[in-house]
Amino acid sequence: MGVITDVTERKLAEEERKTLARELQESNAKLEEAQRVAHLGHWEWDLQTNVIVWSDETYRIFGLKPQEQPMDFATNRGMVHPDDRESLYGRVDADLSAGAYPIAEFRVVRPNGEIRTVHAITSKRWSAPLTESNGASPAHPRKLFGTIQDVTERKRAEEKREALWRDLQASNARLEQAQRLVHIGYYEWNLITGSVTWSDELYRIYGLTPQAGPIDMAMVSQMIHPEDRERVFREADEAARGGIAAAAEHRIVRPDGEVRTVQGHGAVKRDAAGRAYEMFGTVQDITDRKRAEEALRRSQFYLSEGERLAHIGSWAFNESGHYWSDELYKIYGLNPKNGAPTVEQYLALVYPQDRAAVAESIKLMLEDHRGFDQIERIVRPDGQLRYVRAVAVPVVEQGVFKGFIGTTMDVTEQELLTQELRRERAYLAEAQGLTHIGSWAANFHTGQNHHVSNEIYRLHGFEPDNGLLAADSFYKTIHPDDAPIVWENINNAIHARKDFEIPEYRICRPDGTIRFLRAIGHHNPSGEMGEFVGVTMDITERKRAEAEHERLRQLEADLARVNRVNMMGELAAALAHEIKQPITASITSADALLRWLAHDPPELDRARAAAYRIEQDANRAANVIDSLRSFYKTGTPTERRVIDVKKIIEEMTGLLRGEADRHSISIHSELEVDSSNIMVNPVQLQQVFMNLMLNAIEAMKDSGGVLTISSRFNPEGRLFVSISDTGIGLPTGSAEQIFEPFHTTKPQGTGMGLTITRSIVESYGGRVWATANKDKGATFHFVLPCEAKSQV
Amino acid sequence: MKPAVVPTVFIVDDDGGVRRAVQDLVESVGLRAEGFATGEEFLRKKRTSDPCCLVLDVRLPQMSGLDFQRVLANFGIQIPIIFITAHGDIPMSVRALKSGAVEFLTKPFRNQDLLDAIQQALQRDCTAREQQNEVHELHERYLTLTAREHTVMDLVVDGMSNKQIASEIGASEATVKIHRGNVMHKMQAGSLIELVRMADKLKSVVAP
Repeated sequence: MGVITDVTERKLAEEERKTLARELQESNAKLEEAQRVAHLGHWEWDLQTNVIVWSDETYRIFGLKPQEQPMDFATNRGMVHPDDRESLYGRVDADLSAGAYPIAEFRVVRPNGEIRTVHAITSKRWSAPLTESNGASPAHPRKLFGTIQDVTERKRAEEKREALWRDLQASNARLEQAQRLVHIGYYEWNLITGSVTWSDELYRIYGLTPQAGPIDMAMVSQMIHPEDRERVFREADEAARGGIAAAAEHRIVRPDGEVRTVQGHGAVKRDAAGRAYEMFGTVQDITDRKRAEEALRRSQFYLSEGERLAHIGSWAFNESGHYWSDELYKIYGLNPKNGAPTVEQYLALVYPQDRAAVAESIKLMLEDHRGFDQIERIVRPDGQLRYVRAVAVPVVEQGVFKGFIGTTMDVTEQELLTQELRRERAYLAEAQGLTHIGSWAANFHTGQNHHVSNEIYRLHGFEPDNGLLAADSFYKTIHPDDAPIVWENINNAIHARKDFEIPEYRICRPDGTIRFLRAIGHHNPSGEMGEFVGVTMDITERKRAEAEHERLRQLEADLARVNRVNMMGELAAALAHEIKQPITASITSADALLRWLAHDPPELDRARAAAYRIEQDANRAANVIDSLRSFYKTGTPTERRVIDVKKIIEEMTGLLRGEADRHSISIHSELEVDSSNIMVNPVQLQQVFMNLMLNAIEAMKDSGGVLTISSRFNPEGRLFVSISDTGIGLPTGSAEQIFEPFHTTKPQGTGMGLTITRSIVESYGGRVWATANKDKGATFHFVLPCEAKSQV
Repeated sequence: MKPAVVPTVFIVDDDGGVRRAVQDLVESVGLRAEGFATGEEFLRKKRTSDPCCLVLDVRLPQMSGLDFQRVLANFGIQIPIIFITAHGDIPMSVRALKSGAVEFLTKPFRNQDLLDAIQQALQRDCTAREQQNEVHELHERYLTLTAREHTVMDLVVDGMSNKQIASEIGASEATVKIHRGNVMHKMQAGSLIELVRMADKLKSVVAP
């Protein structure tokens, strides 16, 4: 502000003033507009009077109408946000004390409650320093001038940007973390320059220190497993050329030589011209997953293979459905394509007899969540009956029922084997009981019994039900006289590691009875010293039977001899008759001879004839005696000759005629004319005929009758002989018994005649039997095979 | 026995040796002999009325000697039999002798015993034949009697007097005397005792 005196000057000055005032006004208006647009006001604070002057914009910033009221420090202070008030003025005081010009950012509360953030700057230039009151303190402004800007919007934007930045940082960290966790790294491959950038994780995947150095494609290529290298680049190339994405699983080799499997995904970026300029991709280390997958696959394979081998199928039954393993389908003979059967379908597979029980188990399972373990029979669709062991276990997780899992095992073979074993064991026990043979397994060296069958207990006179007995209890039963030989046998076997057999030894049972036993032990070569398995049998009865048999055999032999003697008696009588004939003839002829000689003249021709007859008859007698002697040679009846059967029959008929006569029995023969030769021992054949004929005579002794002998060769060339009588006939019901030794119906009979007959006939491979006649008596038949017939 | 007739000895034995020897022996003592192997052969032989006897073997094929003896009896053939056997026992011989056998000889027998037995048998045969002839003659005489004479003879033999017989047959005593005289004459009986003896002999051929 000044004073100008020259009027012109004044005028000029006036003009100038006016211009200046106009310019000033204009400048104020511009300032005003600038303040409004920039939300920037200015203020003046007289520190001494505490009067504050605000620009219009400052009023707006504080939410007031411009110049609505005069402003002072207290009002101004009251509009500052209470939380910022202390710190703001504290700092202002501190700044002023330090001679600094305060700058502050703080919040204000508009009268309508709106909070705005403002930034106030004190201008150095426009603030007049305070006059030094005491002179000691540095220059203190008397008046402060500054600007104030509403920075709320900027602050918000700033905050937003900061939040975004933080988010980005966090998400980067998370990405990094994620990459590390899942072992995924990424790369950017500039297809034009060939440069490559890798994420940290990718470095780690390749076994390198993150960002340890630049990467180029040659290095990448080097690190891919040689076997996969060519394929990976071919696929990348194809992706770059035609496709968009490339996905390749391949192996890499880390610098330390470790091989890892990675999965790559690549996307190709193209410019507006469609030219590929970059490939961005991720690489994931899937080695662990691959291993886990492999392990899972292997364990699944093992499981199914195990199921297959063990004939065990598994199943699960829960809210997500009903699962059956492949093997389970196989066990039931069902097609997996048809899915697991329903309960009804399943029950239809069960063997009808087991169906009710299985239905009950399933009902309990479904309703009461009760598991089961049972063997049931099923009938496969192809009709095969199988035994299965079905096990069901309820699944309960944290007290909540989740369903059932179970296994089903095909136990047909085991079951059949078990049944077979059970049967076998029963049979064995039965057999041991019946045969009085017991089995055992023992170590004689240590005196330990491993197994002792019940029959062994019984053989030794112990009760099998009275519990186990020490081996010593059995040893003590051995008869003192036999013990040395028994133990010698066993000890030799122990040391020689050989089998033993004690054919016969005695034991004294606890009740005092003596039994004969036989023991056979088999050395167990794989076992320890003294290990044997064997059997012990009671041979007491057998020994008795043998003794009895021997006695009977002796008796039989005696009786056979008696029979032969008897027969010899018969024979002798018959032969005596035969001898008497020629002797009688000779004597008579001799007498006649003498008489012819005594005639006068002597009748020499008649005498000579008589002498000739004497010679003939004497020879005849000699022959009879010869044949008699042959009967005594029966001890060696092996010599066979070609015999005329007819002749033998005639001879025997002749021999027995006297006996027949005595009982008024006539003898008829019906003999086939030719082919009557047979190769036999004549004496034996004579015996056969004599026995059968005597038998027939015997049958007719009291009644008289007819004895008929017929012989013929049947079509097979066998000699077929029947000797029939009209006597008392066969005893009822014993047509075969009559051939047994000592079977006789005669008071004086030995019962051996037919037995001997049979043994002779059978020794030629022939057969003898008896039949009852239609009307009266019996017929005995015998057949001698053709082989006996002479070829001559 | 008339000297002109040579008795015949028949031999039945299936043993040819014995048969021929016995035959020869019999011939050596001047008798006739004929041998047969079986009884059947013997039966087929046509026999004369000359005295004869049979030497029979007990043991024969098909039919025993003892059975044959029975068969002969059934046929009414009376011939003295001497049994020979190589196998004799007491029951057998008793049975044979009871059935009328002359002798039962066991082979080997003494030839003289056989010859004696043959003689005895022939003698018996002669006697039997004489007796048979006598009866035969009486029977011839008997057959010449009338029916009335038969009745009178029976009553006379029964010891009735003429008077009794007369009242029995309703005739006069004189008539009975005539009949009785005819009977005595026709029967050639010298006395009543002789007639009674004749009637006794005739019993065997005339039914009462």
